[in-house]
Amino acid sequence: MNVLEFSNVHRAYDRGVDVLHGVSFAVGRGEVVGLLGKNGAGKTTLIRIAMGMLSTGEGSVSVFGVDPRVEPVAVKSRIGYVSEDQVLPPFLTVREIVSIHRGLFPTWDDPMAEDLLQGFSLDAGAKIGKLSKGQARQVALLCAVAHRPELLLLDEPAGGLDPAARREFLETSIRLLNEAGSTILFSSHYMTDVERMAERVVMVHEGELLIDKSLDDLREHHCVALVPRENGASAEKLRTIEGCLGVRERSDALHAVFALAPDGAIPLIQTGLGVDGVNCRSVGLEEMFIELAGGQS
Amino acid sequence: MLIVVDPHSGVPVYRQLMDQIRFHVASGLLKPGDELPSTRALSAELGVNPMTISKAYSFLERDGLVERRPGKPLIVSGASVDDVQTRKLTQLEDSLAPTVTVVRQLGISDEEALSMFRQMLGAGEGSDEGKDER
Repeated sequence: MNVLEFSNVHRAYDRGVDVLHGVSFAVGRGEVVGLLGKNGAGKTTLIRIAMGMLSTGEGSVSVFGVDPRVEPVAVKSRIGYVSEDQVLPPFLTVREIVSIHRGLFPTWDDPMAEDLLQGFSLDAGAKIGKLSKGQARQVALLCAVAHRPELLLLDEPAGGLDPAARREFLETSIRLLNEAGSTILFSSHYMTDVERMAERVVMVHEGELLIDKSLDDLREHHCVALVPRENGASAEKLRTIEGCLGVRERSDALHAVFALAPDGAIPLIQTGLGVDGVNCRSVGLEEMFIELAGGQS
Repeated sequence: MLIVVDPHSGVPVYRQLMDQIRFHVASGLLKPGDELPSTRALSAELGVNPMTISKAYSFLERDGLVERRPGKPLIVSGASVDDVQTRKLTQLEDSLAPTVTVVRQLGISDEEALSMFRQMLGAGEGSDEGKDER
């Protein structure tokens, strides 16, 4: 059964700007999915819809098989949520915040909470208002994971954290995966984190689903072709070639993403354009993201 | 275990793991009967998804390089002397494959490529001898 399922989700904000135009994807139990997209692509909106914080226009969302707007308490008690703009009460101490969460969740794991306090080197007596941005985020993460949620929704959780704190955060999420088999959906601009954590990548672009593929598939069966702008090579022609997912126009060359391994793409491009000198290579997620996001017409 | 992961690489992480474990077995760093770290332990150590580790382990098991025993750590399979030699050669073949691609892409003739390879092998030998003399 799917833990989380978006079906044809639409969402428009009051000012009439469409944020999501029919997004569908599902996340299975124990899966770790990275949610990618440029700023404003609709990632936060999707996560808030899953939390029941926003309603969908057309379409539906189901979490553990139910609508989070219909059974908010039942759903939220099984979810851990961290977002970039989450605000914890500044006048409470770390200890008090932890104790409030402990009371809310019957599944609270004290040893885990203690471990995390130490791992993050957090002073339990410090007031939230006195903590750095990174430390406050770590408190939020601790509260999100120490009840061993079945589903972890992380909205740009590592934004503003230094590399050491980010790694600590990542390791905590991996620990939760290992110990509780949790399902994780997280949005991030840190492609290294996505590459370490995620098995699958969902990319949204201007409110639509652009890619929903396993990371291994993206690396093994996708490539970026660099085509010189000569001999009549054009973005239009490239887009008609089988397997082309997008073309980014640069001053000297065209960069095209193909859903094919380099060996498979080269002959198709050479035949399609009637040119030689096509260079195709497998790329990491960061380059793939830039090419895909910049290559949509 | 000596394993490093480069998440930015175009090579999937599970393949990086497989390649490095294969290399360690071929080089003799990992010997038949040696235990591999558990999926959990390696995932925590490298900071990668445990599914990635188990994917690499499953493929290595399929290839007969490691053995799974119920409730116990994975071990490196026993291998005959012939297997060891085959593994070394397979390892070399994998390393040379990208070079062959470069040779073809640049239009270098087989003779030129072979002569350079011989020359480089010869150069390596020469420097080893130099060290021995000192």
